[in-house]
Amino acid sequence: MYALTPSVDNFTIGSIAVKNRTNTPVNQIKPLAKNDPNSDESLLIAVGNTQDTNAFNQLFVRFSKKIFAMGMKLTRNEQVAHDLVQEAMLTVWQKAPLYDLDRGTAQSWIFTLTRNRCFDMLRKQKRQPNTISADDIWPTEGDGDAVFVNEERGSLEVEIAQIERFYSDLPEAQQAVVRQIFVLDRTHEEAAKALQIPLGTLKSRLRLGVGKLRQLIGPTP
Amino acid sequence: MTNTANFHPSIELLNDFTQGKLATGMSVALSAHLELCEACQEKSSELESEAAKSWAKVADDQVTPDFSDMISTIVGQAQNSEQESAGKQERPPVNEIHMLHHSVTLPRVLAKAASQGLVWKRLAGGIKQASVILDNKTQCEFIYMTPGSKVPVHRHQGSEVTLVLDGSFSDELGHYKASDFMVRTKDNLHKPASEEGCLCFAVLDNPLTFTKGFAKLMNPFIGYKFRKALAARA
Repeated sequence: MYALTPSVDNFTIGSIAVKNRTNTPVNQIKPLAKNDPNSDESLLIAVGNTQDTNAFNQLFVRFSKKIFAMGMKLTRNEQVAHDLVQEAMLTVWQKAPLYDLDRGTAQSWIFTLTRNRCFDMLRKQKRQPNTISADDIWPTEGDGDAVFVNEERGSLEVEIAQIERFYSDLPEAQQAVVRQIFVLDRTHEEAAKALQIPLGTLKSRLRLGVGKLRQLIGPTP
Repeated sequence: MTNTANFHPSIELLNDFTQGKLATGMSVALSAHLELCEACQEKSSELESEAAKSWAKVADDQVTPDFSDMISTIVGQAQNSEQESAGKQERPPVNEIHMLHHSVTLPRVLAKAASQGLVWKRLAGGIKQASVILDNKTQCEFIYMTPGSKVPVHRHQGSEVTLVLDGSFSDELGHYKASDFMVRTKDNLHKPASEEGCLCFAVLDNPLTFTKGFAKLMNPFIGYKFRKALAARA
């Protein structure tokens, strides 16, 4: 069994439940994406880390026509499709710091973000009520709803002690994965490497482990 | 908590959902089902990554307007930081619906939909209904069937999606419980009843037609109400 001795800082309870409901496709990151400076992923990370306008230019050339095509397909309106290119690429620029390889390929990240912008633009254009936005319909990792521990039920320390007990009931393989991610704060890729298991296996063990923890702790308040 | 659903949306419907082709009301029903059903969640993320792949493969040889002017405007904008984005999330104000003897925690997206305020109306047969306006194509409502209630026999003019949130109900075709997602089309005569009581979220893309007894009298009225509601939204 692995000891679980979290400090409050690195035991990010908030992201547990979030990671359990991610839209990130499992196991589709090209292994060399990180090392190839011209891969979509490297460019996107450069935009996020250093506001690299040159990298952004390249992404713009690679994706603007595709975004326009999606806009035409979904709205059949050239002006809206044109505006979508602006909106979607602006979102790519603004949200690039939030991208990391755990979120899947850059193209699937940009696809999702373009679909969501398009959905919201169509709603606005048709003057539909704005109660619901695309981000509500397709929640992503990083949406902080994930307080799966009820703050009203007790102090954080008590909750953590409780989680610690439940944690020790998990199968060892799941414990190992949960520990890598939440206690040692590693990325999915690093954790898979450390445990010498494929990334897909890591993700499914993590999902199972965290799901089990959630179940033991009780329904989300 | 995740329940195991017995009735799920079709692959075609999931596919349209991931590609953003569905009306908001329908998308909300699917999103709520996904929150309750891990199997469909997985299917949908597979479909999404497939959709992204085929999107990225689309040939770029079509002539499109020149977008390069946009770049300088875009890179002049500030970027989001992690903290900013984390701080933005707020919990929807309505998380649960109080029923006879207990409360039902709503899936997140429905909690958001309900945050515009629910006004419950009593209908015939022990049914209560609260409409939410999500788009101008569909009629969306929470339906609460009190224990022992029966909906008069009706036929759908369009299709109706029902997601069970709590309790259970039955009709000629089956017995449905929490997390189940059903689609009924205009070919189905439909006579739901609930023994233990049931809370559902339903999306109609056309009003109902009642086919039996006094309930028939409600038809013109429902049609009128529906048109009026649509006119008010337009």
